[in-house]
Amino acid sequence: MLIDILKDALLSFFVAIGFALLFETPKKGLLVAGLLGGLGHAIRFTLLYFDFGLISATLSGTVVIGLLGIYCAHKIHTPPVVFTLPACITMIPGLYAYKTMLGCIRIYEEGTTGAKTAFLLHDTVYNFILTSSLLFSLAIGICIAALLFRKKSVKKIKKIKDLGIKIF
Amino acid sequence: MRANVLDYSHVDDRCADVENTRSDKELSLKEFVDIILEVSTLLLESGAHCERINRNVQRIAQKTNYKVEMLISFTAVSVSVTDMGNEENIVTANKKIIHHGVHFGILTNTSLLTWELAEDRISLQELHQRIKRLKDTSRYSVWLVRLFIGIACGSLCLLAGGNLIDGAFAFVASFVGLAVRQEMIKRKFNLMVIVICSAFVTTTISGLNILSGFGYSPQTSIATSVLFLIPGVPLINSIIDLLEGYIPTGIARGAFGGFILLCIAVGMFISMTIIGINNF
Repeated sequence: MLIDILKDALLSFFVAIGFALLFETPKKGLLVAGLLGGLGHAIRFTLLYFDFGLISATLSGTVVIGLLGIYCAHKIHTPPVVFTLPACITMIPGLYAYKTMLGCIRIYEEGTTGAKTAFLLHDTVYNFILTSSLLFSLAIGICIAALLFRKKSVKKIKKIKDLGIKIF
Repeated sequence: MRANVLDYSHVDDRCADVENTRSDKELSLKEFVDIILEVSTLLLESGAHCERINRNVQRIAQKTNYKVEMLISFTAVSVSVTDMGNEENIVTANKKIIHHGVHFGILTNTSLLTWELAEDRISLQELHQRIKRLKDTSRYSVWLVRLFIGIACGSLCLLAGGNLIDGAFAFVASFVGLAVRQEMIKRKFNLMVIVICSAFVTTTISGLNILSGFGYSPQTSIATSVLFLIPGVPLINSIIDLLEGYIPTGIARGAFGGFILLCIAVGMFISMTIIGINNF
């Protein structure tokens, strides 16, 4: 189990670094992007192992990436999106997008009289909904700082007090 | 972008009656509008979402005596600058967006520059000089990017449940596919044609996995090798814009991303039809 999680984190580390290079993230952000990507994907993997459901597991992973991104942005002085976006790309729903597309092609090939038409439509719509919800949860994770904290810029977020909630 | 048709002659006597002695004193309204347009189009062309552009511009405007209102659309940026010392002085100018790329280095450097200005470490003139130079910010070497994108797509394939052979197919396919895309971008093809050709080449190479029958689950290598083409930045920016209230730009970005996705599907479909993968 632990080996599996570590392997998952290592693989997604490389995914995040690759996409960070494609998006021209500055050098000081590369390692952070890789580490956050590995951590986020490992969280998703662990939650999936405990039957959390795909969307909630992905949302938890991206929210952790987004919150840690605030801290890292202060450390290395870059905007957080520069490394949180490549980190979240590791969870991009590629397989489901692919299945949606194949479903559309199959609907075309079956025509109107095929035996599997009803199942195909249901499957395709399901895959489409899954793809868009996963994409939505990635975006929520990336802009969690702007959503939760009332400050416009991450640079202004310095204390827990900025959350705007009175605990005591 | 050069709003030469506007008459700026009245701007010069503005400085006399504004008592505020800040760094904007020598800067004419036209130069200020130029800076704002340059910053906002540079950011939009390197993949920033609208709220980030607005924030950067307002940070610059804070330091001056000007009020900036902007309309950020997908194809152009429109800016109205009002001189608060003399509210008769208003300039509105537009600038067209040439292309929509992704360059987070420019995004970081622009943000750092505007913060330096906000903390009074550089003057507005210096900011203008350095913004002009930002366009030539260095990129990573193409071979490094190709290698790491290959590794990334191979890793995605392993994550999706393929074995090492599937991963190797995905590595080669995305390596060559990215090379095709970069070379075609250099030769200034239409973006949609680039995406279709690149997806076609990628799927053909990873489709050899199905034909040869080496791999354990060949479908994963086809599905993951095209992932480097997925318009992640436009799609995610689209949703961020929708969340933050820039609805028209959000919809436009979503349509742009969706159209690229459609082009990927077309490229894959052509390839699958030609090599005859029917049992996918």
